[in-house]
Amino acid sequence: MRIERLDGRWGWASHLTLLLGVSLASAIVCPVAGQTAPPKKLAASLDRVFGSGARVDSLPVDSSLVLRVSRADSLLGFAVVRNVIGKDQPITFLVATDPADHLKDVDVLAYREPYGGEVAYDAWRKQFRGKTTSDPLRVDGDIRSISGATISVNSVTAGVRVALSDLTRWHQEGRIK
Amino acid sequence: MLRAQTGVLLSCLACAAGLPLQAQQSTTIGGYGEVHYSNSNSSGSSGVIDLARFVLYVGHSFNDRISFRSELEVEDAKVAGGEPGGEVSLEQAFIDYKFGEPVTLRAGLVLMPMGIINEVHEPPTFNGVDRPLYDDVVIPTTWRELGAGVAGSIPGVQGLVYRAYLVNGLKAEGFSGVDGLRDGRQEGQNASFANVALSGRVEWARPGLKLGLSGYYGGSANSAPALGTGAFSAPVFIGAIDGRYEIGAFQFRGEAATESISDAAAINALYGNAVGSRVAGWYLEAGWNALRLLARNSSHHLILFSRYEEDDTHAAVPSGTPRNPAFDRRVTTLGLTWKPISQLAFKGDYQFRRNAAHQLEDDVVSLGLGWMF
Repeated sequence: MRIERLDGRWGWASHLTLLLGVSLASAIVCPVAGQTAPPKKLAASLDRVFGSGARVDSLPVDSSLVLRVSRADSLLGFAVVRNVIGKDQPITFLVATDPADHLKDVDVLAYREPYGGEVAYDAWRKQFRGKTTSDPLRVDGDIRSISGATISVNSVTAGVRVALSDLTRWHQEGRIK
Repeated sequence: MLRAQTGVLLSCLACAAGLPLQAQQSTTIGGYGEVHYSNSNSSGSSGVIDLARFVLYVGHSFNDRISFRSELEVEDAKVAGGEPGGEVSLEQAFIDYKFGEPVTLRAGLVLMPMGIINEVHEPPTFNGVDRPLYDDVVIPTTWRELGAGVAGSIPGVQGLVYRAYLVNGLKAEGFSGVDGLRDGRQEGQNASFANVALSGRVEWARPGLKLGLSGYYGGSANSAPALGTGAFSAPVFIGAIDGRYEIGAFQFRGEAATESISDAAAINALYGNAVGSRVAGWYLEAGWNALRLLARNSSHHLILFSRYEEDDTHAAVPSGTPRNPAFDRRVTTLGLTWKPISQLAFKGDYQFRRNAAHQLEDDVVSLGLGWMF
């Protein structure tokens, strides 16, 4: 089984990580590459977003790994797990779309700063539901900020915008189906 | 049954996706810094420019649950032997052990969870070149002490988080009429544990809104027999509230605190520093992002703001200590903050610094640059 990494941009960093030894490489090369989602959290998140008992297949696209979620031959949607940097720590989040390329939900799988963490609250995340690539997904525009969590809010919003755009493009190009 | 299958499948997926069951270790580096230029109309000089702070964060995640966080600061750019000025200090250095969202154990050098700026003081997060005076003489920012405690979210109420620590107490010896509690902080340097303190905060957040309530209670006698010998002798109590609200192009924030030093008379008899028995302060600030009107599609922020504060380190005095009206300070700040990205701020402001004695009042022009990453 091929070892894939989370976020396409840092594919080369993960190979370096394997070569150099984890902590050295992740410190020097890329702090994001070393951070991953706890599998239990990922499973719980997919259950929550798509309903429990769904089938999950992995589809490598470029250097990303898309999770294809289905139940009894009917497609429920797609998901990707990615990292953005918050203040100085990576935030690991999941973006899920439905078969019509509407954003189903965003989930924060790991928040590592000692303060903050409001981006994980449902009251903030629910603003993303139903968005498509034709929405701006802009903080202080269609996405309301959280006082005192501006950096995380900006990072996660930008990360969601890119993930939604990737999933939509790959789906429309037929690279995931 | 179906759930179990999903679980197995996800474990395989987790491996395939580079999501190992055993979390990888990783070290992170971050930081912030700020350059200040200020010119007071009373100084007769052409102003002072200073690399006020250069801070590095080093963090390490040992696994998903255990992590280390630190903040190492150089103030005023350099520290040279035998010369005044400059400071190198650790502002934070602690271990977090996360048991789940509701409970993280935290131990080490921790920031007191008091108000808005003490815990989160990166310059792009607040308006004004200097932190409010409130964060100097009322909440002695950056206030950190050694100890241990818990932090987490309160289950069942979304958006409600707490932090509660037990730390070493303050030293009454350092209290003063002019600076309040400020020089009573021990900051992790061979701190006396003769007294202890409890400090806690609850914070409630919704999109656009955050409210906080902070409390502190601790002894400050530091083994001086005249001040008592218990863990909480010569007690200091602080209660503080804060709020932040953002709507459209507008942003508002405010803080207020009251501090009681009930043995101020005995402290003054011993050290003669004219400490007030009550210290109080508050500020209100309003800001408006002008680019919402001028350039609607810009991702930059150009915030025009004004802040008014009243801070009095002699809000009340013990018998035998005359009240000094010069310690009853009012500062009005008008300024702007330009943030091309959320982690970078160019700042400029004009301050009217007044006090009830009308002594040594001045106006100050400041320019600043601040970054964080």
